[in-house]
Amino acid sequence: MIKQILISDPTLRDGNHACAHQLSAEQIAIYSEAADKAGVPIVEVGHGNGLGASSLQVGLSKEDDKTILETARKHLNKSKLGIHVIPGFATIKRDLVNAIDIGVEVIRVASHCTEADITQRHLGYVRERGKEAYGVLMMSHMASASVLVEEAQKMELYGAEGIIIMDSAGAYLPSDVQEKISALVNGLKVPVGFHAHNNLGMAVANSITAIESGAKILDGTARGFGAGAGNAQLEVLVAVLEKMGYVTGIDLYKILDASDIAEKKIMSTVPTIKSDSIVSGLSGVFSGFAKHVTRISNEYEVDPRDVYRELGKRKIVGGQEDIIIEVVMDLIRNRK
Amino acid sequence: MSLAKNKIVFEDCKASCVEIESFSILDNQSILVTGGTGFVGKWIAEMVSYINFTSNLNIKLYLLGRDIVKFKDEVPHLAEKSFINFIEQDVRYLHDLPSDLNYIIHAAGSPDNREHVSDPLKTIETFYKGTQSLLDAASRIQDLKKIVHLSSHQVYGKNETEQLISENSFGPFEALNIANCYAESKRIAETLCSYYKNNLRLPIIILRPFAFIGPYQDIEKPWAINSFIRDAILGGPIRILGNGLTERSYLYASDMAYCILKSLIDGKIGEIYNLGSSTPISLNELAIKIQNQSGSKMEILTRSSKDYLSVSKLVPNTDKIKKELNFKEVFTIDEAINRTILWNQLKRNN
Repeated sequence: MIKQILISDPTLRDGNHACAHQLSAEQIAIYSEAADKAGVPIVEVGHGNGLGASSLQVGLSKEDDKTILETARKHLNKSKLGIHVIPGFATIKRDLVNAIDIGVEVIRVASHCTEADITQRHLGYVRERGKEAYGVLMMSHMASASVLVEEAQKMELYGAEGIIIMDSAGAYLPSDVQEKISALVNGLKVPVGFHAHNNLGMAVANSITAIESGAKILDGTARGFGAGAGNAQLEVLVAVLEKMGYVTGIDLYKILDASDIAEKKIMSTVPTIKSDSIVSGLSGVFSGFAKHVTRISNEYEVDPRDVYRELGKRKIVGGQEDIIIEVVMDLIRNRK
Repeated sequence: MSLAKNKIVFEDCKASCVEIESFSILDNQSILVTGGTGFVGKWIAEMVSYINFTSNLNIKLYLLGRDIVKFKDEVPHLAEKSFINFIEQDVRYLHDLPSDLNYIIHAAGSPDNREHVSDPLKTIETFYKGTQSLLDAASRIQDLKKIVHLSSHQVYGKNETEQLISENSFGPFEALNIANCYAESKRIAETLCSYYKNNLRLPIIILRPFAFIGPYQDIEKPWAINSFIRDAILGGPIRILGNGLTERSYLYASDMAYCILKSLIDGKIGEIYNLGSSTPISLNELAIKIQNQSGSKMEILTRSSKDYLSVSKLVPNTDKIKKELNFKEVFTIDEAINRTILWNQLKRNN
């Protein structure tokens, strides 16, 4: 029996976290074309925090959503154009209507792992427009397997055709992935997916564990280009899956070419597991905080590792970037 | 366009209403429908409209609901009927009912499981507190002849067999699953009915609805047949989420309305009846039928978390209601799909 895995590639979305949301239209065009040639099923684009998120709070995009979407649309033929949508950042009227009109085909509606309720209207609207709707539970390490199942079941009822859990902090070990993915596969009717981060060097291993636990959807980015220590490295993932007998529909040589192009043309630095990222992963902090923590810690001369530890203790999640400065100030006060 | 839509509904009422003469007993009687502005309420109103018009009867309707303005906007041809009266009221806080009531159809509360998981407390309150408020108010009505309480097939719990579900077959039930708040509150509502029937001698019968399909049912509702029809109207692909071998059955809306009104006349007090179609159809077969009827060869996709080995079956045994109410399903599943697609296409083009 053919074991088919659906690959979604957020190089041009999660990767935007790694370059402070400064991907240009030209870079988007170059990588979209390369990924399309390689047969990547879904190419996800946008601000790191998704549609409508460009702001002072979480970072201003170099390009606006319309430019990003139109550019990618123009350069994708076989691959489907996908977006990440967090209700609140993205509204239906202001953002989603236009995105679908531009030609977005796959919409992943995301919430913090315990707040699936907020996705109902957005998922409903996507289904109303006949597009592919997926639910995404972010920061999934912060909830137990049973809570994740409850939240995912809500998304399934709201119309999600698959549920992806994100290891947004890169905090998982394979045993965590096995426990949570198995519970989700057992508790849901629709396919389950996994989005890894590499803070503890486990992104590809965790992705494979997810598949072996019943997941059918995986995310991976070229060279792992993504927030913090990056994501599961797509070209490695494709190679490993191929070796294990899974079918992704992606041409290995062409995705290797696409990754080379991505490294040369869109990455100022290739993601590595820096010391701070390890502490971030151990502390369970959202990978998208990395640039902010580095910048503010340098500015106020505090140890970023202490900042991550404290953010982890306070269970801060994406969208609460303003707390980073508060944490830094508290550390300075306590030092005195 | 709306004339064409209304014509479909009128023809459907005509086809389903096979014993129209039996409704003469309702002449000059008043019927209250809670949830009167929803899917069931609209169809009851359509069927009563047809009966009044065709048999020259004077059946008076009270439609109780929370959003009368929306109802008037959606179905202006019904809103203008002189036999229809509106009561804008949340059933949870109901106190007084019109004194001239003779019959009640208790259909308040949404079966939309998205709402149940998002607001379980409201769901429980609507069915528990709403049913209690209604029955308390009903106990003060002088000439009340019958109350039809619309429960749900979900009171049966999980059907672990491949048998049709009869009125006394119950499966296992997970009370701690929040998604079961609807089923649990429907169960307690039935127990309330039992109390009011035994202690206050209220003339209650219970119908346990299964799945329906037809005009006025929002195709954005999160149920398989609605999603398939919506997908087909949008040009496909039709997406089957989960186990395509799952078997369901669908009673067409006008057959449903006829049967509910028939239960006011022939339903036996204290009895429980399954209300639905007893003709099973798998989701795979259903998708193919909708694909065929939509006129274009669109793709059918199946997305599931795992490979299913067993069939999940949720189909009623309807021998009792057929025998005691002399009820026959008029519309086949093919006709039901055809009428629903046609009506929704007209609505969409309106």
